[in-house]
Amino acid sequence: MPESRRDEQKLWLILFQIRSIRSRLNLLAAQQWLFTTLALMIGGAALILIAAAKLGPFGFLGVSFAVFLVVASGIFAAARRGWAARVDVARAAGLADRRADLKGRLTTVLALSESAKQAQLWPFLVEDTYAMRDDFEPRRIEPRLVSRSLGALLAALLLALLALPDLNRGGAMARQIAAGRAAGGQVTADLSQLQIQPADPALQPNAQIYADPETLRRLQQKLAAEGSPHQRKGLGGLMDKARRFADAFQHQLTGRNSESGAPLNLRLTDRNPDHTPGGRNGGGQPRQMAKNSGDAGAHRGAAGAAANGRHAKRSGAPPPAAIPGSQADQMAKDSAGATSQPNQSSNSNQAGANDNANPPEQDAANDFGGANHGIGADPEHLFGPPAPQPFGSDSFKIAIDAEPSDEASAPGSPAYLPPKVRVPLNPNQLPDEPIARAAVPAGEQTIIKRVFDR
Amino acid sequence: MSEAHTAIAQPTISDFARTFRRIQAEIHKAIIGHEEAVEELLAALFAGGHVLIEGVPGTGKTTLVKTLGLALNLSFGRIQFTVDLMPADITGTRVILSAADGHREFSFQPGPIFCHILLGDEINRATPKTQSALLEAMAELQVTVGATTYPLAPPYFVMATLNPIEMEGTYPLPEAQLDRFLFKVRLAYPGEEELVRIITATTGPEASGVEPVFAAGEAAAKIESLKRLVREVLVAPQIEQYAARMVRATQPHNSRALGDLRNRVKIDAVDRYVSFGSSPRGALALIMGAKVRAMLDGRANVAYDDIDRLAHAALEHRIMLNYAAHSDNVDAAQIVDQVVRAIRATRA
Repeated sequence: MPESRRDEQKLWLILFQIRSIRSRLNLLAAQQWLFTTLALMIGGAALILIAAAKLGPFGFLGVSFAVFLVVASGIFAAARRGWAARVDVARAAGLADRRADLKGRLTTVLALSESAKQAQLWPFLVEDTYAMRDDFEPRRIEPRLVSRSLGALLAALLLALLALPDLNRGGAMARQIAAGRAAGGQVTADLSQLQIQPADPALQPNAQIYADPETLRRLQQKLAAEGSPHQRKGLGGLMDKARRFADAFQHQLTGRNSESGAPLNLRLTDRNPDHTPGGRNGGGQPRQMAKNSGDAGAHRGAAGAAANGRHAKRSGAPPPAAIPGSQADQMAKDSAGATSQPNQSSNSNQAGANDNANPPEQDAANDFGGANHGIGADPEHLFGPPAPQPFGSDSFKIAIDAEPSDEASAPGSPAYLPPKVRVPLNPNQLPDEPIARAAVPAGEQTIIKRVFDR
Repeated sequence: MSEAHTAIAQPTISDFARTFRRIQAEIHKAIIGHEEAVEELLAALFAGGHVLIEGVPGTGKTTLVKTLGLALNLSFGRIQFTVDLMPADITGTRVILSAADGHREFSFQPGPIFCHILLGDEINRATPKTQSALLEAMAELQVTVGATTYPLAPPYFVMATLNPIEMEGTYPLPEAQLDRFLFKVRLAYPGEEELVRIITATTGPEASGVEPVFAAGEAAAKIESLKRLVREVLVAPQIEQYAARMVRATQPHNSRALGDLRNRVKIDAVDRYVSFGSSPRGALALIMGAKVRAMLDGRANVAYDDIDRLAHAALEHRIMLNYAAHSDNVDAAQIVDQVVRAIRATRA
């Protein structure tokens, strides 16, 4: 074989090896881009699924947005990095020169392979470089065949595997609702205590609300007064839209739709029909009422109806309306039954217990307010047809606080003068008659004088 | 390429390295230490350039040059530059000579510049006019006296010494002349160990015993052949671009726009302290010196590191600093350091 042909072969081998290095480096760059992109996408999707299963709509929306940003920027950065890691033959030769400490031999051979063949030292350079070919074998320049970013991809896959069981189990809130359903599938809520706002997480749409027409009418009024979530504008409206979007997306991701659960029966009551719906006090006042009326109900079994009226007055709520005895009896039964409801308050349970402790006739006489005095009282019979009031029934009293006034009810008419009423004195009272000063004991005279001086 | 050609090239590079090391060894018989300075000196010789040697008194500048002349076995000339030295004292002049028959004619009497190795001792003590007498000889290897031009016999190698501390009564070298020196070699104070060796070697009864590497008749031819071989060393375009980029980086208004956008280099010190950067001769000096270094390393190609290692010797004396540099005590070596660091990041 001629010497020149042998030199050509050596040169070809050197160039082939440089191109192999380039292919290996580019393969790694492509792998890095691909694995990183896949890892970001899979990991991001897994995080979104976990967020869909574990978080409420707003939490899910926030996490999803953050994950989306991170993944998008990560994919962009990975693409840029992959593009920058891509090498041409000259760069591969330079890289091999550095890594194998070849002092520019490969760069020079590659750059001058076409132009320097007539140079005096060219054969020496080719021979010298060829003798070092073991030093710049592709596997010595770049030992890895698989990019290290494969680890990131595997980690993302592991995260996705961990996310799947959570997806099947569903969210914590959904489990609570399911538990509520399993316990009876019926929840009773009072309209006066009902704060209407968009649910977070949203209730499933197969909840059935039923109430008497009047309560439903009041519910509509309340909705109109407080503003329907669909009608809110501004930031609130945007929040509602975001919530609905997140809710729908969450349902799509988790596979839980409205048909998946048993219907939830939401029984709506209106324990305070005179209460004006809406307004700033509309939300806070019913809570106070519920507490006080619960207390009132608990004590009323012993103290009687007058005490009930005083309690109601103290709480700022209007005095309770008259309830027929049969209806009160039914309410007492409902109250007792309400103890089995998980959503009943302790006050209501206590009230129901007190009411049941009384004999039935006393219930009929005194415990009409049992329906009033607790959240847990089942007020269903409040909305039934009113039972006819037995004639001459005095099973309740209405306490009226009245004071004499100097002002006439109409201009020109004489002022009202209350009639003098004589009532029997109790043992601790004395008749309101003047007594002689001398009859007052000396010690008490001093006290009386001091009181008047003050 | 034939087998014979390869056989010639391979030993020639080996010969070069061997010859170079032999000369080095002979010089170090008389010069203790200064290994890098000696290597740069020889690199300038084989690259076909001239050297400006700067050092404080007593560091062996003159001894180094004389020893080199002895080792190379080439004709050696010495000019002690003084303030009253005239150009004709360097180049030679026409004088009237009387023949035996009484006939008189003008005849050119060559000055000390006509030799292979010229030592210009304390060159900055002569006036710029006299210093400039060297310019033509250094650049074009010829001397023009009157209307006649006389060629200089190759190899021609000028080594000028410069004392940096005795500035009174001296004349700074013109930039044009500075630019004609391929390298500027600094001779620093020797270290303690080197100083002990110098004391031992110079105060004893034995002379240094420097022996010529070449025979008397063949020295010039051999050195010229080695210089030609140096020019055959291959340089990749990337390396040439690297050297060009480095030279441009020393120029105040070019330092901001070097290379492509990705490799843009900004060297604040150049803009702040440099009045004039290196001329294109700086790039030639870098490449030629790098070629010598490549051959010393047994390579037929220049590497980036060869350029970096010679940057100080090739660029320092070509950078003109401004007053801000003097007031901030910034010297050209610091500038070159920054330039090399910045340009190194742009390697392909």
